[in-house]
Amino acid sequence: MANVQIRDLRKSFGPVETIHGVSIDVPDGAFVALVGPSGCGKSTILRLIAGLEEISGGTVSIGGKVINEVEPKHRDIAMVFQNYALYPHMTVAENMGFSMRLLGHSKAERRAAVEKAAEVLGLTEYLDRYPKQLSGGQRQRVAMGRAIVRQPQVFLFDEPLSNLDAQLRVQMRAELKALHARLKVTTLYVTHDQIEAMTMADQIVVMKDGHVIQAGPPLEIYDSPADTFVARFVGSPAMNLLSAELADGGVHIAGRRWCDAPTDRRAVQLGVRPEHLVLDPEGVPLDVDNVDPTGSETMVLGRIAGQQVTLLLRQRVAVSPGDQLTVSADPAHLHLFDPDSGRRLIPGDG
Amino acid sequence: MNRRRRTDLLIDLGLGIFGLLMLTPLIMLVANAFKTPEEMLSWPPTLIPRDPTLDNLTSVLNETPLLSWIGNSLAFALLSTLAIVATSGIAGYIVAKFPFRTINIVFALFLATAIVPFEVYMIPLYFQVKQLGLLNTVPGLLVGYLVMSFGIFLIRQNVLASIPDELIEAARIDGGGEMWIFWHIVLPLLRGPLAALAVLAFFQAWTAFAWPMIVATKRSAYTIEVGLALFQTGYTVDLGRLSAASACVLVPSVLAFVLLRRNFVQGVAATGMKE
Repeated sequence: MANVQIRDLRKSFGPVETIHGVSIDVPDGAFVALVGPSGCGKSTILRLIAGLEEISGGTVSIGGKVINEVEPKHRDIAMVFQNYALYPHMTVAENMGFSMRLLGHSKAERRAAVEKAAEVLGLTEYLDRYPKQLSGGQRQRVAMGRAIVRQPQVFLFDEPLSNLDAQLRVQMRAELKALHARLKVTTLYVTHDQIEAMTMADQIVVMKDGHVIQAGPPLEIYDSPADTFVARFVGSPAMNLLSAELADGGVHIAGRRWCDAPTDRRAVQLGVRPEHLVLDPEGVPLDVDNVDPTGSETMVLGRIAGQQVTLLLRQRVAVSPGDQLTVSADPAHLHLFDPDSGRRLIPGDG
Repeated sequence: MNRRRRTDLLIDLGLGIFGLLMLTPLIMLVANAFKTPEEMLSWPPTLIPRDPTLDNLTSVLNETPLLSWIGNSLAFALLSTLAIVATSGIAGYIVAKFPFRTINIVFALFLATAIVPFEVYMIPLYFQVKQLGLLNTVPGLLVGYLVMSFGIFLIRQNVLASIPDELIEAARIDGGGEMWIFWHIVLPLLRGPLAALAVLAFFQAWTAFAWPMIVATKRSAYTIEVGLALFQTGYTVDLGRLSAASACVLVPSVLAFVLLRRNFVQGVAATGMKE
């Protein structure tokens, strides 16, 4: 096992630079998720680490050794692909033992390693089947088994769960997490699904347009997003962003003072998570447009002073479109952003 | 229900008659090989010889080097098939999975060769073969039958459709070298289309006529197609012996098709659509 250190990594395709100087630290044994909308460069970073693309600038080190020029097979990594990339003409056992065969291990050694991995993944009875005879979840497990058998220093996952249906995805998420807890192999996990990233990772790296926007533990990112992009991207339903007026040292929306204003600002954007808006007889009016009851909670879509907001209530409420509610929020749960740059403002420090 | 069954029956009947019509010339050919000259010209023609004779067959086998012609054709067709399968497999894979600009140009050139008919460069090629001293030899016949641009195209399309990049990348990470990957991952996955291509290549060489005719100047070096043509001169056609020789020639082609039929149909129809 080893740590992964990425320093000022750049990648250009022809004249177009798609990764603009990215630095990421993955401590030994950590599970780090790279998350971002499609096209943000997260998969490219994984491919650069794997050696499937050539690095245009910066360095990638594994275990303290720069591997920019090292061939993929000598980087001591294993990668799991979105479409599993199982060899269709080989059985499950052959697929899993393939890398050991290439390394020249004996048949008995291979069999032992494959059987051990198959046991961990519950694949023992499928070892003689071909990939096309397996379900999506089983194929995904075989792909992971192939990675485990190698005993690499680093696991790379490229959206491994996105081809599975919702229920299976939740199940595999838990299995992957348990697997990581058991093997403690340094893991980089690419996903566009922020929930996957939040639930599985020790550290999240949020990316956009080839830049790292914010990196940190999941809840830290959730609680203090660095800008409006992260605020909207992490968390579901997304954070409400409202343009607010500043007057008398306070932030005002719909005639209510929500919190103290930063001193030297003329305008701010106020962010509030849907679950932090609460029903309050003293609050501001909210015109209800739509109500989505899910049983355990109720999602209300509406407008405050003409601005779209989402409200997530932990209880059942008798409300229907066209009604009016009154809501407020605890100032401690509010986020302030610069309306131009979108950067986070610490309340009060301007 | 009843009506549908009747339509089905009619369709079956129609297809059956059509199938028989397609077979008739072949049956006639085989039948003619065992007929006497009188019976062959009699009207109405008979499907089963009234008075079967082996004269045609023995005379063909004794008076012409039919067996060595078949041998020449077999050697020519098999080697050509082998070469075409090898060159198409390698070139098709490279053109599909290593799309550098120069390789795209090379691929365009491959395709361009398909536009020029063989007859256009047949004569220059003949002079080259002559200079190389390869007239009347199987290597001489093979010149011009080692690469098939359609084969490269067929394999390229199959690679694009049925071998995802991730498969090759996974193998690279697993530690496979490029040759190893080609041999152990790509080739096994291309078995279907390569078999289809083999059948095509075999029949292309087996039925080649113009090129073997000019390259083979000695009777013993003829391929079977050229040899068969000898039975027809400008004025006469030796029907009995031509039929006997043709019937002999049918055997390997029918055999090859029967053996490879499944691959052939799959490879051409599905071109690599695998689940």
